[in-house]
Amino acid sequence: MRKQRLVALLSASALVTGIIVSIPVAANAAPACDGKSPIQSCVGVTSDGAPYSMMVPANFNGTVALYSHGYRYNIDIPAGIPLIGGYKVTNTPEPVPGGNAAVAQYFFSQGIAVMGSGFARQGWNPDSAIATNVELIGEFKAKFPTTTKVVAWGSSLGGVITQGLAEKYPNLISAAAPMCMADNIAPQLTGAGDFLWGLKVLFDPTIKGGNYSAGAAGNAEAYGDLVKVFTIMGKLQAALATGAWPDTSSATGKALAAGGVPSRSALLLLGLMAGLPTQSAHFDSIRGPEGPLKLTFPLALSPALAILENGTNAAALAVLATQDVELQAGGAIFDNTKTDYAARIDTERVIFNAALSGNTVIDALLGALSAANPGAPRAVGNATAIAKMNALHSNTGKINVPTILMTGVADPITPAGASQRVVNAYAEQFANEKLAAFAAYKTTRSYVAPVNKLLMLWNMTPSKGYTTFTDAGSPITTTPAASGTNHCNFTSAQLVLVAKTLVSAGLTGKLPSGGPIVSAGRKAGNLVVDKDFYAPLLKYYNQ
Amino acid sequence: MKALNRRKLISVSAVLAVASLTATAVPANAAEVGVSSSVIKLGMTLPMTGAASLGYNKIPGAAKAYFDYLNANGGVNGRKITLVVKDDRYVPTEAVARTNELILKDKVMALLAPLGTANVKAVASSVNPGRRGVPVLFVNTGFSGFADVKKYPTTFAILPSYIMEAKIMGQYIKENFAGKKIGLLYQDDDFGSDALAGFQTAGVNFAVKVPYAAGSQGAAAAAGWITKFKAAEADVVILFGVSSATSAMLGTAAVLKYAPQWMLGSVGGDATTIKLTGVPAGVLYNAIGFSPVPATTDMNDEYIKLFSDIYAKAVPGSVFDLNVLLGMNTAFMTAQALKAAGQNPTRKSLIAVLKTKGATLANSALTPVGYSANSHVGLTGYWIGKYSPAGDLLPVGGTYVTYTTDSGSGAVVKSTYKRPAMPAKGLPN
Repeated sequence: MRKQRLVALLSASALVTGIIVSIPVAANAAPACDGKSPIQSCVGVTSDGAPYSMMVPANFNGTVALYSHGYRYNIDIPAGIPLIGGYKVTNTPEPVPGGNAAVAQYFFSQGIAVMGSGFARQGWNPDSAIATNVELIGEFKAKFPTTTKVVAWGSSLGGVITQGLAEKYPNLISAAAPMCMADNIAPQLTGAGDFLWGLKVLFDPTIKGGNYSAGAAGNAEAYGDLVKVFTIMGKLQAALATGAWPDTSSATGKALAAGGVPSRSALLLLGLMAGLPTQSAHFDSIRGPEGPLKLTFPLALSPALAILENGTNAAALAVLATQDVELQAGGAIFDNTKTDYAARIDTERVIFNAALSGNTVIDALLGALSAANPGAPRAVGNATAIAKMNALHSNTGKINVPTILMTGVADPITPAGASQRVVNAYAEQFANEKLAAFAAYKTTRSYVAPVNKLLMLWNMTPSKGYTTFTDAGSPITTTPAASGTNHCNFTSAQLVLVAKTLVSAGLTGKLPSGGPIVSAGRKAGNLVVDKDFYAPLLKYYNQ
Repeated sequence: MKALNRRKLISVSAVLAVASLTATAVPANAAEVGVSSSVIKLGMTLPMTGAASLGYNKIPGAAKAYFDYLNANGGVNGRKITLVVKDDRYVPTEAVARTNELILKDKVMALLAPLGTANVKAVASSVNPGRRGVPVLFVNTGFSGFADVKKYPTTFAILPSYIMEAKIMGQYIKENFAGKKIGLLYQDDDFGSDALAGFQTAGVNFAVKVPYAAGSQGAAAAAGWITKFKAAEADVVILFGVSSATSAMLGTAAVLKYAPQWMLGSVGGDATTIKLTGVPAGVLYNAIGFSPVPATTDMNDEYIKLFSDIYAKAVPGSVFDLNVLLGMNTAFMTAQALKAAGQNPTRKSLIAVLKTKGATLANSALTPVGYSANSHVGLTGYWIGKYSPAGDLLPVGGTYVTYTTDSGSGAVVKSTYKRPAMPAKGLPN
């Protein structure tokens, strides 16, 4: 997450919670409420020490929306680190996404309360966060006994927590909406590890990319990696047209450079094998500037630029989440000793052949990255640590309550494939429910049709393309990120649509279908309901 | 949850059965996407503008010319064909976006003749026509993989595979240029990989092989290629690339007075397109070329005669060339497939008819189509010709001798295929 975005998010959150966080509350005590009207604010701390916030309108109708916030780094970031420097670990509660005023207004206007925990620990935390949320629901119901419905939603890691809550405690919530949901930790960190490993073995062998030390030493290693990764990205950007390699490149990288392999093609290949999208905030891989680059730009340059932009956005989380989970697991959790990167990009090498500079270059790169090349040593994970990581909470994708998923098709941090996995799992679940219903009919002679419990909203990128250029033909990167790109990049209208649908599903047990939701998605901005859209699963599932 | 008792279930079934009978009895009451009582809507994405569009951008106009002729003669079972064309500029991500529009917004019944291996693969993986059950008819690429029914269940190839073409070229080289030094220019992607595989199967040994990355072709690059061919003293140079690569090479060779025996692959071998780039027709003279369809100047061929007449009326002044012929042949085959797919064609029935009857559908090609339940391979061979002083590809010896083979290790043999007569007036029967 970019510093600017993070600051914006925290500021917005403060708008909602700023008044209330100053009230001191003892751990696991009943929530302290200010008794104000029309919105009563309550704060408290669950037994694990996690602060929470509740906001209850005077016309409370019995429904409360529980929001789970996304990933926050669990170490402070020194000010000197590019893009994210100056971050301080915070457990400020976030009862609505990013403190979004339109969302809060919608809920309050309907008499719906909101609440959210800041969670006891930051970093990857579904195990503890789900437990925190269970306790928080109990606290709310105890304080507000007229509560009839709890609906849960969350973004990114908060999407994982929300889905986990729905899977483990369906009796506690009536509907769920995981947004820009991350996948389970192993698939997520496999993609991160692949990208960091590739940057290390080609562009800077001093990057650790994992297997960080414990304590302050590990923090320093992670900070060092952040600086190195951002430095490489800067050098690759500067050399995009020439294809020159960073001066920090490994011997393997320098050999490729000497063989005429452009660095942009190497970067693109790393992005493809890690599963990064080839459309980013400002690069659509469709448009080119007027003039001789009209075709060359989208064909040969734009995909690499998209990886550059997406890779830069994802790199910080890749480093810091790896370090965090390694600390939890007790050792290196990335292992690519058996990964077949050639198989990983079997389709993409054809589609992006021009940007990858042709089969000869692709084969040279894959040869350099192969396990047989001692110049690109593979990362060896710690089996015990990997087992511990795999024992952390995982979502199966089972749908127990009416569920709305929303995600950007070109989200570089939580790929759309994470939601696709749930869609796939539910397709199988629904088919089995149908079979069971038919089987039951044979004995009872009463057919009870299963009801659809999943709505998938895909936040698409603009189909006409969105890269813009100066009169001189340079791409413009100062405009807002296009829809469907960047991490959890949703408009207020999109969030409100999800909120409305969530509440409705919680009350009725039903999800909208057909024309109304298609039309609502379009009006909210580029949200598509298309049962046949298929986002690629994370590369972890295609080892 | 909605409970439905047995009586209701039975009555619903009865209603459905009656509805089904009604639908069969009333042909004009279709319910398939893109099929109304009066129109069948098809979609096509191709490079219509930009550097890669030259020549290929005539294909939609050619297909429309045939469909207009068909519509004026009653259409298919009373339905007119409309063709929605989108410009993908030969950019895979754009092909994905435009194809999504065709399926989701324009709601076409089927996709027709998309061009380029990368584009078709991008669409297959991102738009998923196979998963959606959308037919992708007669793709304009000879990549052998598109015949794979498991990976591309709704996609049908039409051009012979590049492997087949290379094998037939290899056979010709062995029979006519034994002992000569052979050079090869090829595109460094799946297009070229297929070619290399075919040449290897044919046992061709190259003195020099020059790959070029897609999009890198131009006069400057061509000068470098020529240096390599000259250094290897190549007697015969095979140009197995797209039109822009062939044109760049021939144009630069003309300037540099480099004149080996040229052998042109069919993809980049359309003389009209090459000449449009300023390459003098004389440079093509005596070059060897390959084609699965009759020579476009062969007015003794009933298809060429009819198609060229239709095209001349529809697009006056435009040259009837290989791209036009392929576009019209695609439209012609589509019309027949739709007709064979029944009174109320559906996506499923269209795919089914191509699998079961596709190999027998009339069309202008001089080699058979290989569709079956297990393969979506298109045409299966070529005739060999030489370019005339005017730049027209004419059969060696004055008569078509077609060769056929497969994309595996099968031998190259003379084809015994007898093309069925064209249906009356060139309309589906």
